Amino acid sequence: MEKIINKNRIFIIIISLFILIAFEGKTTTPSSKVDRRIEMENILPKKVGDYKAEGKDEIYNRNTSFQYMDGAAELYRSYAFKLLMVRNYKKNGYPSLTVELFDMGLPEDAYGIFSYQTEDEEVGIGQGSDYGGGLLRFWKGKYFVNVFSEKETPESRKDILIFGEAISKNINENGLKPKLIKFLPEDGLSERSIRYFHLHPILNHHYFISHENILNLGKNTNAILADYSFPNAKNKTFLLFIQYPDELQSKKAFNRFLKAYMPEAYSSPHKKVKTENGKWTFAKNHKKYVLVVFDAPTQEKAEGLIVEAIKKLSRK
Amino acid sequence: MRPKNHFITRRDLFRKTAYGVLTIGFGLKRSGEAKEEKSRVVLIRDENVINKHGKINESIIQQMLDQGVCNLLEEKDSLHAWKRLIKPSDIVGIKSNVWAYLPTPEELEKAIIKKLMEIGVFKKNIAVDDRGVLDNPVFKSSTALINVRPLRTHHWSGIGGCIKNYIMFVRTPWLYHGDSCANLASIWNKSIIKGKTRLNILSLIYTQFYNRGPHHFDRRFVSEYKGLLIGKDPVALDAVGARLLQLQRIAYFGEDRPLDTTPKHIYVADEKYKLGISDLNRIEIIKIGWMEGSLI
Repeated sequence: MEKIINKNRIFIIIISLFILIAFEGKTTTPSSKVDRRIEMENILPKKVGDYKAEGKDEIYNRNTSFQYMDGAAELYRSYAFKLLMVRNYKKNGYPSLTVELFDMGLPEDAYGIFSYQTEDEEVGIGQGSDYGGGLLRFWKGKYFVNVFSEKETPESRKDILIFGEAISKNINENGLKPKLIKFLPEDGLSERSIRYFHLHPILNHHYFISHENILNLGKNTNAILADYSFPNAKNKTFLLFIQYPDELQSKKAFNRFLKAYMPEAYSSPHKKVKTENGKWTFAKNHKKYVLVVFDAPTQEKAEGLIVEAIKKLSRK
Repeated sequence: MRPKNHFITRRDLFRKTAYGVLTIGFGLKRSGEAKEEKSRVVLIRDENVINKHGKINESIIQQMLDQGVCNLLEEKDSLHAWKRLIKPSDIVGIKSNVWAYLPTPEELEKAIIKKLMEIGVFKKNIAVDDRGVLDNPVFKSSTALINVRPLRTHHWSGIGGCIKNYIMFVRTPWLYHGDSCANLASIWNKSIIKGKTRLNILSLIYTQFYNRGPHHFDRRFVSEYKGLLIGKDPVALDAVGARLLQLQRIAYFGEDRPLDTTPKHIYVADEKYKLGISDLNRIEIIKIGWMEGSLI
């Protein structure tokens, strides 16, 4: 009888624990969404100089972001983008300003979306910034920010940069850049050319490989593409560095890439080819990584980049 | 002969011209014996269509439209030409584009409406719409469509052109974003659209030839091309439009950027959906008007 009572007590305790956990789960999710929104509202100032916030904030998530920016939303959705807050600002007699604050979920992905375009001027805002054509882009922590003006004028540039500083100051935490960046060889590297991404359309935008996803890129892969310049070489060399979830997946992707892109090197011990543009491509599979050098001026330069990257990987 | 599972890669594009190899790569048969069918498109430009205050001249754009249609159909009279496209009893949906940064010029929309009414189409049977087409009563009962929009780059599909303009005829456009929006042409088989498009117009009054910015728009990369591209074949218009944007990028940046998001959907529209001709060698471009700096 005592044994039955004890068993019943244990059963009731277990059931109670399940209910408690389920209830906690239910209450956690909505409040974390609310917390995210409140945090973002606090980051965006209500007033900067004579510019004042006007109208209601617009909020968009991964699904509703299409309503705001049509197909352009796919770029942000290719990262861990969580929430977008848009606030407009007005000042009498001046072009209005718009601020778009993206919670990218992770600092690495905030860096990633920032790295998509870095062709203009670094202006020292946040952890990395780019200003040109009336648009300021910067990242800090898990946030990515666009500040832009209805019309670009010399005054609007000044105002945009002041806005950027104010917003950056309100983001309390810095974030780490993607770990893969540490393994990039440093000689000849153009730091501003580093792109971080997950999906193959982003790779194709920067360096077209194939319409098919021959490297098996996806949301669980992390990839870096970077430019290198060598003395006496007219054109850039590209290093593509991909991390897969495990060795099996990296090997599968590597073989697929070789068959599609370098079939003549598939069976040879050294995966290198001189491509139709007279440059060298060299590929290597190392544990859960695939490394490919494109457009190197010589075989030695191609191999040198891969060897150096693997050395750095091995030292981690 | 290419193996069945051959993927088009960057190396294929080095071996041939970008567009030529993509049509071959997708298995499009090239007839060596019979005379190949060609698509006809008209490029018309007028130096004065944008005045010095940046406003579009309504009468000039009307003339451009009318002349373009006449040349397309090899007619001397514009009313006669339009009557070959549209009957007075038609219910006409003008599928435009409202993208805030570069919408279809209102003056072009007005020019189309004016012509339709001149040939006898009732005003109540004409509608201009974009995002509301699926709920628009004129579009829902339409017997004819006119497809009109500005030409621009598009990050995900390569270009925003005629084929892509019909994406608002589906309730879930994002489902067509996969694989560089390769299957956009499948939308043209939907019953609300199929067989109804009488004319396609790509506005080249302004073109956006490079993406930058939060919504992929940056005024620095917008040209005043001052043209219209007119045709019955949407695929041909898009192929010519894509080439123009590529040439504009090369002219602007001073370097060759030929592989910037190749618009795969144009070739798929040709090869898989038989919507039109994507091979530039099989497109006849009739050029009219001011051709300085035309690049094509």
